[in-house]
Amino acid sequence: MATRVRLRWLAVMLVAALSIVSATYAAEQQQLVVYNWWTAGGEKQAMDKIFEWFKRKNPNIEIVNNPVAGGGGITLKTVLLGLLAAKIPPDTFQSLSGAELKQYVDGNYIAPVDDVWSAQNLNANYPAVINKMTTFNGKHYGIPMNAHRANWLFYSKKIFDELKLTPPTTVDEMIAVAKQIKSRKPGVAPIAIGTREKWPAVFLFDVVLLSTGGPDVYEKFYTGQLNARTSPEVRTALQKYRELVPYLYEFHGAKTWSDIAAPMAEAKMGMMVIGDFAAGLLVQAGFKQGTEWDAVGFPKKPQEVFLMIVDTFVRPVAAKNPQATTAWLTNLTDPKVQAEFNVIKGSIAIHKAVPDSTYPDKLHREASATFKSKRIVPSSIHGVLAPPAFLSDWQDILTRFLYSPDVNRALSEISDAMTMDKVTESGQWYWAK
Amino acid sequence: MPYTRAHVLLFLGPLLLIVLLMYGMMAWTVAISMSDWVGLAPVWKFNGLQNFRTLVVGALQERFFTNLRNNVIWLVVFIVPTASLGLLLAYGLDLSGKAERLFRPLFLYPLTLSFVVTGTVWAWMYDPEAGVINNGLRMVGLGRWAQPWIADPGLATLCLIGAAIWQYTGFAMTLYLAAIRDIPRETMEAARVDGASDVQVFRYVVVPNVGHATMIVTALLILITLKVFDLVWVMTFGGPGISTEVLPFFMFVATFRQQFVGIGAAISVIILIMAVAVVVPYSWWSMRRLQV
Repeated sequence: MATRVRLRWLAVMLVAALSIVSATYAAEQQQLVVYNWWTAGGEKQAMDKIFEWFKRKNPNIEIVNNPVAGGGGITLKTVLLGLLAAKIPPDTFQSLSGAELKQYVDGNYIAPVDDVWSAQNLNANYPAVINKMTTFNGKHYGIPMNAHRANWLFYSKKIFDELKLTPPTTVDEMIAVAKQIKSRKPGVAPIAIGTREKWPAVFLFDVVLLSTGGPDVYEKFYTGQLNARTSPEVRTALQKYRELVPYLYEFHGAKTWSDIAAPMAEAKMGMMVIGDFAAGLLVQAGFKQGTEWDAVGFPKKPQEVFLMIVDTFVRPVAAKNPQATTAWLTNLTDPKVQAEFNVIKGSIAIHKAVPDSTYPDKLHREASATFKSKRIVPSSIHGVLAPPAFLSDWQDILTRFLYSPDVNRALSEISDAMTMDKVTESGQWYWAK
Repeated sequence: MPYTRAHVLLFLGPLLLIVLLMYGMMAWTVAISMSDWVGLAPVWKFNGLQNFRTLVVGALQERFFTNLRNNVIWLVVFIVPTASLGLLLAYGLDLSGKAERLFRPLFLYPLTLSFVVTGTVWAWMYDPEAGVINNGLRMVGLGRWAQPWIADPGLATLCLIGAAIWQYTGFAMTLYLAAIRDIPRETMEAARVDGASDVQVFRYVVVPNVGHATMIVTALLILITLKVFDLVWVMTFGGPGISTEVLPFFMFVATFRQQFVGIGAAISVIILIMAVAVVVPYSWWSMRRLQV
């Protein structure tokens, strides 16, 4: 009896396995294999919006989604490395613009997308800097569709109201505000930061560099145009960064940025420099902008900029379904798709036709307005400006610095890492005409 | 039933496949470690021992030796307590009679968790403010002993090792328990009849008779420390700074995040050499033992 039951099971499993296999083969003709790292709650729903639009426009193409979890695509990149080297690329995959995208170009893994770019008139519809960040050797290699702003200063509205503080506009003002909080509310950490995942230390440094040096110095630093050992701009920024250390949340090495957001909104910490994605987290946790927390673009002086991270999709060389890839990339440039996607994703659309009023919340309306009116600077984060190899070393250097702030040691570490990671060489694309 | 050629193929085939895969991969890694491969696409430019030189005497020297030092700390601080605790627990269980059935699974249970789960749970426990360890200390009036734990560059590696000891003590215990059960009962009973206490039995009968278990436990724990990665990744991500980085972590970061594939392969080869240095003497020793 038992044997017969087992046999029947075996038969059922075999049939199931066979039907899956045959279904895969039958569907092969009309497929779009997508790899992306949008797996978290809101991200997945945002991605589903794109799928919805894609299916409406291309009912004959079946989407085969392969989400690989891991912020900034670290894990996805590990998976892709194998697929691309084995010459079995997906039909499209997610990357970031700039240096990160350049790696795939250098490896000859992705093909130009100039056809889509000019068909959709993206030279006019996208900001010039995005044009630059997707162009290598005179050709476009990626279709971006959304932008995150990295330079926000979130702060506890309750603490700022109670102490009658105004949000700082420069790092010096930030230090002054932190000093006030520390002396008048000793139990509160003036600057909230969580460096267990390291990269938030870079967010904090970036606003310091923007404040002490301005956007030109910022771009030069991250593309290796400054000599870290000798240039006064880098030294000044690091010295200012050191002045922040006494005001940081004491146990930052044990926390991630998301551990820190709620205590800030609960008035246990003062302020925090992080990207717009923190707004989504705070809103989901039930904290209200305007009463519990608020956020300002930071720094405002010498010049307010939009520090940008851009998600991008690409066309792999020798992808199996080229028409599907083209249809996918074209769909991403549709302002309606971008609007619906970005409202859920918590980023902003980069197509100029998407109005600021699209976004239900104040923070993203402001981000969208800033995006259209202020200078856009590519963020260093996720290897958008500096190559990913340097970013990895850079976050190690900065988190070490926060524990033992030795400016001279850090400067020589930066210089060594920049040489090792060939930052100057790989930053050439940014200055190419 | 006589063995036919088909049988030979059937059983040797998979073995051959595994051997080829494993040693093929190893050979491949060695080849990459002597290449100039940087970036996503393979670069097959032979550059001899340049990658090793970069690690040991070149630009990555400080990082490499920090990693190596941490690996050595792991070797020393992880293995001795895990093995000793395992042996003590095993002897305790052996003495406890029927209660053993209750306790053995309890101690073995942590081993069934993945390092990712262990890491997450222990990171919570080590939390300087909300963590159970500091709060426990404060509750019993030992608040001054509260530490930043994983947020302290000097303590963080020890904290990681603490989590690993917790996870692997049950494993050492099981192996020791089997070894203790192997000791002829008459020997133990004779000692007791002669008036030896439990402690004396432990010292003069158990310890001298579980040498082979110690060899196995130590060799396996050494291999575990050489490839420790998940705990570091989950709990500290190598930080603060690079203070808790170990070689396997560095290998992953160098290869997949920085695309220094040649350097990453060189680190793998160094880990392999370290592992071989442990496994070969061990195998030699156990083979000799079997022949006697």
